[in-house]
Amino acid sequence: MPERRALPDARRVVVTGLGMATPLGVGKDVFAGRLFAGASGIGPVQAFDTQAAASRLGAEVRDFSPRDFISVKNLRRMDRTSLLTTASARLALEDANITVTEENRDRVGILLGTAFGATDVTVSVAGALLAEGPASVNPILVPNTVMNAPAGHASIELGFRGVNTTVTHFGVSAENAIAYAVSEIRRGAADVMLAGGADILSKFYYEALSKFRGLSPDNGGEEGARPFDAGRNGYVAGEGCGILCLESLAHARGRGAAIACEVTGAGLGSSRATPSGWPTGTEGIRRTFRRALADAAIDPSEVSAVSAAANGGRMLDAVEARAYEEIFTADAAPWITSVKGALGESFSGGGIRACALALSVEKGCLPPTVGLTRPITGLPLVWGEKRETGIRHAVQAGISFGGTYAYLVFSRYES
Amino acid sequence: MNAKKRKRIAITGMGTKNAIGADVPEFAAGLKQGRCGIAEIDLFDTSAFRTHKGGQVKNFNPRLAIPGTFSLKRMSRADQLSFAATLEALTDAGFDPLPDNVTEETGVAIGGGSGGLFEAENFYADLLKKGMAQAKFSRLATIYCASSADRIASALGLGGPKTTFMTACSAGATALGYARDLISGGQARIMLAGGVEPMCRITYAAFNALKSVDEDVCRPFDRTRAGLSLGEAAAILVLEPLEAAQARGAKIYGELLGYGVTCDSFHMTAPDEKASGAVRSMRAALADAGLSPADVDYINAHGTATPVNDVMETRAIREVFGKRSYDIPVSSTKSMHAHTLGAAGALEGIASLLALSGGFIPPTVNFRERDPECDLDYVTEGARRADLRVVLSNSFAFGGNNTTVIFGRYDGQGAAHA
Repeated sequence: MPERRALPDARRVVVTGLGMATPLGVGKDVFAGRLFAGASGIGPVQAFDTQAAASRLGAEVRDFSPRDFISVKNLRRMDRTSLLTTASARLALEDANITVTEENRDRVGILLGTAFGATDVTVSVAGALLAEGPASVNPILVPNTVMNAPAGHASIELGFRGVNTTVTHFGVSAENAIAYAVSEIRRGAADVMLAGGADILSKFYYEALSKFRGLSPDNGGEEGARPFDAGRNGYVAGEGCGILCLESLAHARGRGAAIACEVTGAGLGSSRATPSGWPTGTEGIRRTFRRALADAAIDPSEVSAVSAAANGGRMLDAVEARAYEEIFTADAAPWITSVKGALGESFSGGGIRACALALSVEKGCLPPTVGLTRPITGLPLVWGEKRETGIRHAVQAGISFGGTYAYLVFSRYES
Repeated sequence: MNAKKRKRIAITGMGTKNAIGADVPEFAAGLKQGRCGIAEIDLFDTSAFRTHKGGQVKNFNPRLAIPGTFSLKRMSRADQLSFAATLEALTDAGFDPLPDNVTEETGVAIGGGSGGLFEAENFYADLLKKGMAQAKFSRLATIYCASSADRIASALGLGGPKTTFMTACSAGATALGYARDLISGGQARIMLAGGVEPMCRITYAAFNALKSVDEDVCRPFDRTRAGLSLGEAAAILVLEPLEAAQARGAKIYGELLGYGVTCDSFHMTAPDEKASGAVRSMRAALADAGLSPADVDYINAHGTATPVNDVMETRAIREVFGKRSYDIPVSSTKSMHAHTLGAAGALEGIASLLALSGGFIPPTVNFRERDPECDLDYVTEGARRADLRVVLSNSFAFGGNNTTVIFGRYDGQGAAHA
C-alpha cells in the first residue's frame, strides 16, 4: 500500500461548489435531480439543420437564458462557449457561497479545458478572409477566436484576477484543467480555483464529427448513445459546461464552507496512437490510473466507484472495459458508470462529469449508465437505475483519441 | 509549496526554429549580434494585406530537419517545426535516444497557437468553394492545436503527461512553469516543454484587422513604435530534476526557479493600463521562486512594441522594482525574432537561459527614439557582456493572461557557461 501522507490543510484540495449548464439542466439542483433519476439529455438537434450529417441526435443545452447570469454589457461580446462558461462559473461561486471582493479577487482563478473553443467564430473569420479578403475580417469577432476567450470573459464578468489558464486536449481537456487547478492550489498559487470544461455543439462541428465517422450510427443501425453496450455504434455529440469550485482545505475551513468532497489525486499520461485514432492497448489507461492512485496514496482495492470515459464508441469502450478487467480483481471491482449515455460526448464534458462525481461522493449514490441494456463486460456496471452505495474514493477516467489520459480521484471528505 | 523544499529543476537541453535561428547555436549568435529576422514574408501572398513583413522561419526543410525514420505524413507546419525542435533539444540534452526506462515517465507540455491552421486554410477554401458535403475533411485532421504534442509523444513513445496550453501569447511560458510542477509533483521524470506557433494567413489577417501590426519592423520601447511584428517559431526545452542531471553528468543551462500566472480581468485585447495584472504576475513569480526584486539581474520583456503594452510593462517594472528598475537592463528580443505568440514565452525562455549561461544581455534592436514614457535601460546599443544570476521573463496575452517565469544560473558541476 502506498505510504499515507498527512498533508497540511493548505495542500489539501476540496470541492465547495458546483456550477453547470448541461443537457440535463442548468444549475446543481435540476442537474442532480435528472442525473440520478436516469433521465437523458439526448434528443433530435434543434439548434440547426442536421440534413448534411448522417446523424440527427445531439445532447443540447436548452432552457439556458444567459441574461439570468451575465450583465448585458458583457453578454453581447460573448460567443456561446463563453456564455456557458461564465454562467457555470457564476453558479459554482454562488453554490460555494463565495463573493468575489477586492480583498480576495487576486487569489481566485480559473482553469478551463476546451476541446474546440469557438469553432463557429473561427469558421466565420476564415470564411470572411478567404471569400472577401483581409479587409472583411470583423475585428469584434477576433478576440473570440482564441481558446482562452471563455476564461477571459468569465474573469471580466465575475471580477476574479488570479491564475487564469486554458488548456486543450480533446477528450481530456477538462480533466487536464482540473488536475492543473489542483496543482496550482497545492503550490499555493491560489486559494480558490474554478476548474472544468466547456464546449458547444455548432453546425460546423457537428457536420465535421459526422464526416470523421465517430457519431452514432456508424453502421446504419439505430442511433443512440450506449456506453459499454454490445449494440453500441458510436457516440452522440453533446455540449455544455461544468465547473468545480476548488479550494484549499485551509481556506474552506477558514470561512466555514460546506465541503462536498475532496480531490485527493490526479494522474496524467500518454500512449502511442495515431493522431486521431483511439489507443488499442490498455497500457496508457493502466499507467495513468496508477499515477492518480499513487498521487492520492490509495490502492485499487480502495476505489469504490469509477466514472468511465466510455461514450458508446466501439474502440474506446472495449479498451476501457478491458483495462479495468486487468486492474481490478473480479471480487473487488468497484461500481462503474458512464454518464455519457445521458450527456453525450462533449469532449471537455469532463467538467460536467466531475460535477456529477462530486455529487455521487457527497450523496453516496451513482447515476445509471443510460442507454445500456446488454453489457460487454462482467464488471459491476451501474445500469437500469441509480445505485446507492457508500463511496470512499471515486475515480474519474479521461481518455482521448491521440493517446492522452487524465484520471482524477475524488474522495469522501474526512477532517 | 515553499521554494526551499521544492525539488530543484534544471534545463538540460534546448531546441528551436525561429526567424534568427535554425538551431540554438545560431539563435545564440543572432541574439549576441542583434540580428533582426523580420523581413518580407514568402510563405503566402501578402499583397492583399496592409502589412507584408514578419519573422518567418525561412528555408525550413522538414525532411532535412527530421530523420527519415519518422513519418511526416499529415504533419502540419506547426507539427514539423515543433518536432524538429524537440529532436534538437533531446540531442542537446544527451537523450539521443531517450533510454527506454525514461520514456514512460517523460511528458510533453506545449504552448499552442494556431496549430495546423496554415494547412486548414486549404480546407476552408475548399469548404467555401464546394460546400460541406464535398470539402476534403482529411485536410482538417491536422488543424488541432494539440496535435503537435500528440505527434511528439506518439513518435517518441512517451508515457508521461500531455497538455497543450491555449492562453495565446503567454502559453509557452505557462507550459514551462507547469512542466516544472509536473516533475516536482511526481507526475513525470522528464518534461519536454515549450511552444509552437506557425505563421498563417488567418492569424496575420486577425492582427491586421486589430491594426496592431507595424508595417515596418517592430520597434519595442521606441517613441515611434506602431505595433508588433508577427513571427513564427518552435521552442522546446528539456526539464529534469537537478539531481538527476548532475548524476548523469548533463550540461545544465540553468534552473527554473519560479513562475506566476495572473489575469487582468479587464479587457479581451487591451492590456490594463494600470498594469495590475503584470505587476502581480512578476510578484507571484518572485514569491514562488523565494526571491526579492533585488535579486533580478535582467528582465526579458514581453515588449511587443504596441503603443500600449510597452508603456504598461514599463510602468509595471517601475512598480515592482522601484528605484532599482533604472539599474536593471530590460530588453525585448521580439525586436529580432518578432512576436511568436504561443511560442513566445518558451522562445524567450531559451533566450533568457542563453543569456544566463553565456554571460550576455541580448539587445533591443530597431530602436531610434527615446519615449519619455519608456524610461528604463532597454539595451538599445547592442548586446552587453554581463554576469547574470537571475533573469525574469514576461509574457502577457489577449484575454488578460499574464505569466512571468524566473530562471537562475547554475554554477555547479555541469554548468553550461564557460
